[in-house]
Amino acid sequence: MSAAIREIADIFSRMGFSIASGPELESEWYNFSALNVPADHPARDMQDTFWTTENPPRVPRTHTTSVSIRALEQLAKEGGDTLRIISPAKVFRNEATDATHEAQFYQLDGVAVGPVGSVTLAHLKGTFDQFYREYFGEGAQVRFRPSYFPFVEPGVEVDMWWEAPGKEGKWLEMAGAGMLHPTVIKNAGLDPAKVAGFAFGGGLERLIMVKHGVPDVRLFHNGDIRFVHGFTEVDH
Amino acid sequence: MKVSRTWLQKHFKDELPKNAELAEALTFHAFEIESFNEDLLDVKVLPDRAGYALSHRGIAYELSAILGIPMSYDPLSAVMPIGGTTDEIALSIDTPKAFRHTGALVKGVKVGPSPEWLRQALESVGQRSINNIVDATNCVTLAMGQPLHAFDSEKIGRTDGKVAVGIREARAGESVVLLGGESVTLPEGALVLCKGQNGEALDVAGIKGGAASGVTESTTELFVSVANFDATAIRKTARALSLWTDASLRFQNRISPELVPYGMGHILALIQQVAGGEVVGVNEVVNGPESVALPSVSVSLSDINGHLGAAFTLDEVVNALTRLSLPYTLEGDTVTVTPPFWRRDIAIPEDITEEVGRIMGYDRVTPVLLPSSTSPVDQRSHHGVERLRDFLVERGFTEISTPSFAAEGEVLLANPLDVEKPYLRANLSGNMQDALMRAVHVAPRVLGPVKVVTVFEIGNVFAKDSERLSLALGMKVLEGKKHSVLEETVRELSDLCDMNLILDGDVFEMTLEGALLEKLGETYAPATYRLDAFRPFSAYPSAIRDIAVWSPEGTMESEVSNVILSQAGDLIARIDLFDRFEKEGRVSHAFRLVFESFEKTLSDADLNPVMEAVTTALNARDGWQVR
Repeated sequence: MSAAIREIADIFSRMGFSIASGPELESEWYNFSALNVPADHPARDMQDTFWTTENPPRVPRTHTTSVSIRALEQLAKEGGDTLRIISPAKVFRNEATDATHEAQFYQLDGVAVGPVGSVTLAHLKGTFDQFYREYFGEGAQVRFRPSYFPFVEPGVEVDMWWEAPGKEGKWLEMAGAGMLHPTVIKNAGLDPAKVAGFAFGGGLERLIMVKHGVPDVRLFHNGDIRFVHGFTEVDH
Repeated sequence: MKVSRTWLQKHFKDELPKNAELAEALTFHAFEIESFNEDLLDVKVLPDRAGYALSHRGIAYELSAILGIPMSYDPLSAVMPIGGTTDEIALSIDTPKAFRHTGALVKGVKVGPSPEWLRQALESVGQRSINNIVDATNCVTLAMGQPLHAFDSEKIGRTDGKVAVGIREARAGESVVLLGGESVTLPEGALVLCKGQNGEALDVAGIKGGAASGVTESTTELFVSVANFDATAIRKTARALSLWTDASLRFQNRISPELVPYGMGHILALIQQVAGGEVVGVNEVVNGPESVALPSVSVSLSDINGHLGAAFTLDEVVNALTRLSLPYTLEGDTVTVTPPFWRRDIAIPEDITEEVGRIMGYDRVTPVLLPSSTSPVDQRSHHGVERLRDFLVERGFTEISTPSFAAEGEVLLANPLDVEKPYLRANLSGNMQDALMRAVHVAPRVLGPVKVVTVFEIGNVFAKDSERLSLALGMKVLEGKKHSVLEETVRELSDLCDMNLILDGDVFEMTLEGALLEKLGETYAPATYRLDAFRPFSAYPSAIRDIAVWSPEGTMESEVSNVILSQAGDLIARIDLFDRFEKEGRVSHAFRLVFESFEKTLSDADLNPVMEAVTTALNARDGWQVR
């Protein structure tokens, strides 16, 4: 995981992205409301989210998009209009665990904003194209399918074309993304008539599982040193 | 949502392309398809479009726009005539959470099995046929997305000669027996249809009908109810009862109240078709404005292209809007769209941008790299943490990641996944002990003949009102009584961080403050690791065998290990030299062999023959002797 984050941080740093971080235990505002997830949105159901017993309750963040909006808020306070950050970090979902689902896992979230018109969906595609080709290899390709997330409009699913060594190629669903919803930009304290950009988020274990052939997501976070030593260095 | 091809076909004159093509069209322009076969498509309709697309009409509308085929039949093209009101019905609404209620009285119906076509239609989308009336209501719900329900009006009874039905909120502790026989206590905020203005509850409104007033084979008079309720109220009630139905799913996604008359028109026509009967009259009560024109939304071509990073033409924008039956006006390069009542999802300019982008296709958006950044990239804190990682890995530590949930702590979860671990961890040391215990067992397999196992973790820990990043180091000695590695490491760490760190025991923990990390990361570039494919480990414990061999002076370690490996077979997982010395012209090499099987725990029976073969091969070499 650390090795992958390092590599990914490096790829994104060459595209101008800094690394942002934020609390794992979030307020309702930063995890949901600020991100245009209204109080009656299905995503708010107790089944998906952990809540503390505090009053008001806090939430172990369900995505690192909360870090993104904090960064946008900071940008607004500084009076800026340009930002590129990624946030590879731990998130929590109240879901039954199995080979592809864990209650705690890592997400790679990111945003890029600039003056309206300077950061577009085409740039989102270009960023993923570059990222996947550097991380997975030159054969990787990107495509978008229409989708929906409350904090973006338009919203898309990002698929990657992947040919595992010795296997047939196929399209894999890798991330959700889109252009930041004007309400989210406003909630951060920025003016959507002046600032626009994209946001994306996807599972980090998934990237590693695809690239290195790890069969079960539960291997990552149970503290077993056999997992760590299951990877050998190719060169240093 | 399960969508039947036969139903979809009803909306089009010419035969639709095969389902594979329909699936692809929807996938790249509207919705993810969970699965499909020749007759059925399982469409994943997300909350943004669920207000109009949770119906066969909605999917047909989408296909019409995507494939450019006009619909030859559209149940929403005009309200069907339903006849006049009657004084045999009295409706009332006593809550702001019900927006509209239309009720019809139908006399002389013959309740029985549904005609074949209706039964097949329902079964084709995985629904059960019950009787012609219930089936008709389910059919209209799935066809048009408007939930509706038929009651046996004689079981509702009459007050002053009228079938009086009200809508109100449930009273505390009120219960209702639902269709199917289950009795439920209504949660706070639940809505009910009731007898008269305030009487006994007849159902859980918007979710499920009641048993007492249900339609049976002996029913001859119907009260048909088509209504619209507050989405939040319906969702909360459904969640509280764990009762999600075709009706609740649609109401919770804010279908338009203006759909109600369309629903009533179609259900009355269908009931008369399959069960006969005569409509006595249709009454309505509206709680709020009868019709609300949705606000117009404007967007310019340059805004659309500026958002998508594409180069669509005005013709293409207009083309997309036309295919989507979205009325618009054009002024210069700005379109102003007046959404029809059922497209409540079109509210901001970006919504129109999405309509253009998805209908034209996102393959029209070509990838562009962000321009080179002029501002410096700040990854200092990240580099600071990475520096600590490298520092520890260089000293032989293995990084681990353990769960954030713990058996004790200061922050308690209301809904933990594991009730034994309902807290957020207050430290890393707790999990570290457990990880070290487990590491001891697998160390020979993973690390070889080491004398000590050292691990570290970096992660967030939680106190009542603070969260911090913590670093924990742990050590477990395998051979001997003590080992100095942890003490030495903590001392070196003190120097690196310019702090005075105290080690107490076999586990050390410290907080990593932001300032410390930024300082450490200021001038540090983390080394990159290129890793190979993951090699899985066995779930079964490994077995260890040692072997030592005398050989003539000058024999290389690799010569000896090669002989061993040539005989060791497939089960050997690692071989490490753990001792070597010279004496009287001979050299002794001692190796630790670790065997592992993916199928079972290895026993003497498995390994003795292997060791015998190895021993024989070694002894066969001139001047070599196994000790």
